[in-house]
Amino acid sequence: MPKPKKSRVTSEKVQLEMTPMIDVVFQLMIFFIVTIKQEDILAHLDVTRPAPDTAPPKQEQPEDLLTIQVYRDGFVLQGRIVSLEELDRQLTKIASYSKNVSVIIKCTADSPHAHLMKVLDICAKAELKNLNVFSM
Amino acid sequence: MPKARRKEDTPASVDMTPMIDVVFQLMIFFIVTMKMTKEVNPDIRLELTKHGPVIEKTDPRTVVVEIDRRGWLSSHNAKMDRETFRNIIRARYNRQGPFPVLIRADRRTRHQDVRAVMDICTEVGIWRISFAGIKEPKTAESRE
Repeated sequence: MPKPKKSRVTSEKVQLEMTPMIDVVFQLMIFFIVTIKQEDILAHLDVTRPAPDTAPPKQEQPEDLLTIQVYRDGFVLQGRIVSLEELDRQLTKIASYSKNVSVIIKCTADSPHAHLMKVLDICAKAELKNLNVFSM
Repeated sequence: MPKARRKEDTPASVDMTPMIDVVFQLMIFFIVTMKMTKEVNPDIRLELTKHGPVIEKTDPRTVVVEIDRRGWLSSHNAKMDRETFRNIIRARYNRQGPFPVLIRADRRTRHQDVRAVMDICTEVGIWRISFAGIKEPKTAESRE
């Protein structure tokens, strides 16, 4: 059976030229791949701040109050000099008893911000929520 | 056999036009919405904090303050002094009440500079303050 002529005419229809479009799309793809920049994933550490002009803190402090002092070159937990690892251990232990401990973090003016962040990070790890930052 | 002939007559060609339209629409959308400028100070190196909760969807009212290692303030890459910052915060507080404040301070910043910012916030009436740290470093300089 010979092919009818009509069908040959339809198959020789003008074809859509795809090559330039594919070129453009590839160019754009390469541009976006090259310009994309990975972003750091950020974490937030929340603290509360005491009122600026309150009366001096009461002498009788509640039992579950923890004081961490942050100095330029180290940390002090409840009056004892501790390393970062020691602080981590102690806070994890304390948090295993109660998560509602109020933690007061006192920073000296010349301590780097990294130290405060380290302490806050440890508190976040121990899931302590009640954090207060004081300045000395 | 009329059936077979009909099959031969219509060659299986996909109509490309709608696909091209969609691709162009998507391209235009991404080109238009792409943000080429950064709103953060690239000099600030945050401290690595692995245990904090991830910043997922921030409150749109959040004010992000950046403190570089010399204590200079900036917000959305606009440098300002403390007096300007205080005025901005106060005006905003009077207009819409309390809002969250996120401090992006360099790890080498001295605490007194961070303290100055926190004092301005508390003076205005904002007690809750967040610090930003890096949970997962992705860029080379933050991994050091």
